[in-house]
Amino acid sequence: MNQTETTIRNRRGEFTRVVDAVDKFADEHHLAAEIVGDVQVALDEVLTNIVDYGYTDDAEHEIRIRLRVGDGVLEMTVEDDGAPFNPLESAKPDTGASLQERRIGGVGLHFVKSLMDEVSYDRVGDRNRLVLRKNLPA
Amino acid sequence: MDLKEDQIGSVTVLAVTGRLDSATSPALGERLTAMLAAPMAQVLVDFGQLEYISSAGFRVLLLAAKRADQSKAKLVLCGVSGKVRQFFDLGGFLDLFSITATREEGIASVH
Repeated sequence: MNQTETTIRNRRGEFTRVVDAVDKFADEHHLAAEIVGDVQVALDEVLTNIVDYGYTDDAEHEIRIRLRVGDGVLEMTVEDDGAPFNPLESAKPDTGASLQERRIGGVGLHFVKSLMDEVSYDRVGDRNRLVLRKNLPA
Repeated sequence: MDLKEDQIGSVTVLAVTGRLDSATSPALGERLTAMLAAPMAQVLVDFGQLEYISSAGFRVLLLAAKRADQSKAKLVLCGVSGKVRQFFDLGGFLDLFSITATREEGIASVH
C-alpha cells in the first residue's frame, strides 16, 4: 500500500493517532528518521492551527489526513471543513524581538513552509485542502 | 516524551527524551513551571536525546524563559544539536535562549 488515510475529530487529543499513523507508514516505507521528524512537526503545526482557529462553533468536525508515497515524494493531504484559511498567506514570525516581547505566533506555519519542499492550498467547496510535499532522498 | 530529573549540586538538570509536540509539551511546561517556582531556581534542560520540537514545545520554553527572567531564576539549555538545532535556527530561537554546548558547560553557566 502506497497510501493510507486517517480521519480524526477536531480535538487535540486525537493528534496522537496521526503521529502513530505517520510512524507506521514511515516504517513500512523505510523513511529516514530525519524525514519523519520534519513530517511529524509539519502535521502537528497544521492540525493545531485547524483545531485552534478553524472553527467558529464547538461542534465536532472531521479532519482527513492522507499520506502517499511515490516518485520519490512523500505527499500529505489535509482536508478540513473549517473557515477558509490559506496558510501560505500567513505572516512571518517576528524573530527579531527580545525575550519578553517575543510571541510564538507564526512560528508553526513558518516551520511548515521551511520543512516541506512544496506546500499548496485549495478551497474545494466548503473544505480547505492543504497538500504538503517532501522530497525523499534517492 | 520522557523527563528525567537529576540534582547536581544546586543545579537541577532536566533531560528531555523523545518528541516535543502539541501532545507532549504541556507535561514539560508543568514540570518547568514547578521547577522555576523554587526560590533562586537553577535549571538546565538537556535536549541531547530530543528527536524534534514543534512550535508547541517552543511556546512552553518561551513561557518558562520569560518566567525565569522575571523571577531571577536561571534557565539554560544544552544538547541543542543536529535536527533539534535546525528547529531552533528556523524559529529564530538560538539567540533568544541561554544555550551551552555541553551539560558540563551548562552546569557551570547556571551556577
